[in-house]
Amino acid sequence: MPESALDRLTIIEYNRTGGAAYATKLMADLGAEVIKVEPLTGDPDRCLGPFPGGEPHPEKSGTFLYLNCNKQSVMLDITNHTGRQVLDSLLRDADVFIHDIPPAEAEALGLSDKQVRAGKDRLVTTFISPFGESGPHRDWKAYDLTTLSAGGWTWLNGWPGHPEMPPLRPFGRQSAYQAGVNAALATMGALLARLRTGRGQHVEVSAQECITAILEMTFAFWPYMNAPTARWGQRPIHPIDFFQCKDGGWIFVLCVEEHQWQRLVELMETPEWTQWEVAANRFVRASNWDALRPFMEEWVSQWTTDDLYKAAQAKRIPFAPASTLSQLLDSEHLKARGFFVEIAYPQAGTIKQPGAPFKMSETPWEIRTPAPTLGQHNETILGERLGLSGDEIKSLNGARVG
Amino acid sequence: MPGPLEGIRVADFTWVWAGPTCTMQLAHMGAEVIRMESMRRVCTLRMLPPWPDGQPGVNRSGYFNQYNQGKRSIQLDISKPEGAEMAKQIVAMSDVAVENFASNVIDRLGLGYEELCKVKPDLIMISMSGYGRGGPESGYVSYGPAQVPLSGMSQLTGYSGWQPMHVGMSYGDPNAGLHAAFAVLSALFYRARTGKGQYIDMSQQESTMAVLGEGFMEYGMNGAQPPRSGNRVAHMAPHGVFMCAGEDRWLSIACATDDEWRALCGVMERPDLAGDARFRTLADRKANEDDLETEIMSWTLTQEPFEASERLQAAGVAASPPFMNRELAEDPHLSERGFFVEKEHPEVGVRQHAGIPWRMSETPCEVWRAAPIMGQDNDYVFGELLGLSSGQIEDLKARQVVY
Repeated sequence: MPESALDRLTIIEYNRTGGAAYATKLMADLGAEVIKVEPLTGDPDRCLGPFPGGEPHPEKSGTFLYLNCNKQSVMLDITNHTGRQVLDSLLRDADVFIHDIPPAEAEALGLSDKQVRAGKDRLVTTFISPFGESGPHRDWKAYDLTTLSAGGWTWLNGWPGHPEMPPLRPFGRQSAYQAGVNAALATMGALLARLRTGRGQHVEVSAQECITAILEMTFAFWPYMNAPTARWGQRPIHPIDFFQCKDGGWIFVLCVEEHQWQRLVELMETPEWTQWEVAANRFVRASNWDALRPFMEEWVSQWTTDDLYKAAQAKRIPFAPASTLSQLLDSEHLKARGFFVEIAYPQAGTIKQPGAPFKMSETPWEIRTPAPTLGQHNETILGERLGLSGDEIKSLNGARVG
Repeated sequence: MPGPLEGIRVADFTWVWAGPTCTMQLAHMGAEVIRMESMRRVCTLRMLPPWPDGQPGVNRSGYFNQYNQGKRSIQLDISKPEGAEMAKQIVAMSDVAVENFASNVIDRLGLGYEELCKVKPDLIMISMSGYGRGGPESGYVSYGPAQVPLSGMSQLTGYSGWQPMHVGMSYGDPNAGLHAAFAVLSALFYRARTGKGQYIDMSQQESTMAVLGEGFMEYGMNGAQPPRSGNRVAHMAPHGVFMCAGEDRWLSIACATDDEWRALCGVMERPDLAGDARFRTLADRKANEDDLETEIMSWTLTQEPFEASERLQAAGVAASPPFMNRELAEDPHLSERGFFVEKEHPEVGVRQHAGIPWRMSETPCEVWRAAPIMGQDNDYVFGELLGLSSGQIEDLKARQVVY
């Protein structure tokens, strides 16, 4: 009887951008066995940081550690023949191979879908690339920022009243997270199909498309109304805005439905401006927000952030504070839910980090092991599992093989 | 070949954006998704723009039609006991139930997991509330736009020295929807091997924090809130969005290596910069980033962004204009890849919608139909699936259980 949702699945991962690593993190945390194949220089995320004290160290990169708990690491130079053969041996016994090497380079390395799946009927290959495996921009180079731009996100982010300020990235490598969660989702679809057909298949994921698929209502404004979108997207309803409280904290003032606005008006003790024609409904308030905003600002500035948050929620108005990380780590609510997990990393120390993105009643989400050190599982995977001798492993990890 | 979820049926209690994003993924994979829609509290998305010709209508919203493509819709008042009973019958014929009401609302309707298990013992059910079940704030109300500040993302995002910012869309919603769909598929995989269903409790706040890992790691390592840094990052320079010729025209450029930087200098025809000691290595460029950006902008201000991107890409530099909706809609790359979905819709005709960001070689995913108009599948579900006679349906209509 499987004890976890993805028990007995073996996934081989080769990560470049964080997309492959996040996809396999989602699966590893539900019990899949994930073997990271790293180049001799290590997964590039080992160089990314953040680092304790700002001092770079391949075993202390926060990004790498966060994305790679529960995984095993083997070092392989897949650009040479022997390394590539060892990878093939790993793939023969695997259920899934996930990488995010751009298509042209993957082909040159013999890692395109056709090259990899030949003779491996049951293997699912999931490859993430910035622009997909076809089309005129297939070989465009991309990093997170340019992918977010090509997908349409950065255009939406910025300050509406300040056209001189540039379109802005959201925090974190969100194109990698989105490509990753889409890749994990599509991979599960392929594994479910395999239960029926007995056959694996190829899944390609375009990071650009992952972003274009989640632009809220802003994409549709073109095909529906020939209306271009602007910074901070379309906000056709109001209030939906930040205000500063008297303690310096920021609160997000939001009413989606009119009944929420009515209760906010009550909470404000029905000031005159809320009764004006220009505040009559959510659409009108949006058109007149520049004029109404100062009244709201004045009212909010009399509150502390926490008092206002609680007062609004007590009336079922969906306000939220702009939380700092320390406020989240100290949140009684998140403590009661047991959200954060504390992981002892051998070299980077003990860190409290985000835990399960969802809780499943029958199958645990859990961190069983911290992120692996580079090549930590060379012996167990390459030696014990594939039967390579100590010398063969050494030569694989040395300067030259064969 | 049928889609990967062929034969799976989903009882869809969701509304607004997060829940519908989850069930849309399942529909994309070939599951039959049945939206149960209230006429008394019509889904917010149906009431929001864009609408063709600016004319509102519950079947006219591009926002709704985008995130409900490929689903069925029935009009059923689940707040009436008879309506709830019918919902249960639909669940009994389904594999998955999805809801994103505020925490515990589904229980008050008599449609909580335990109740539904009585009619469908191996049910997989996911609740996607703002704050999750349990904990002192579980009763709080939330929408996707508020999840951006609540999760910590706003404090981390913004121009250097400016206030916390939004990210331009209600990111908490689609991010939760995608994670939820992954959770559901994982539960289906477990059920296929064990015969057991399960209940999944998702907090949108938590699923948003899950994609802010590098922020929490930095805090954990160094005990300080990472400062807002605009478009800059520690490991690349230049890394920014630069103003171009024309009004509100921009170009994003990122260089990770010294080679990429020299290639950028080549395209800018500035060999002097390639040799400039201020910019030779990443450390140099980070130390002189203001000067670096000034030099680059003096070039981009003379450039048309799409044309400049082509030349930068030809030289091996990662660059892209920030696409606005029109530029995406007209992008030859996305079109050639067949990304967009254009299906006939009874009220808005053929409109372009974003499609499925993945392709499967053996079990292709597709959008089989445009988003449903309200109650488009009443006859199919009430008649064919539930086996009600037209007399029974008329009777339910008279009492406004169905419409």
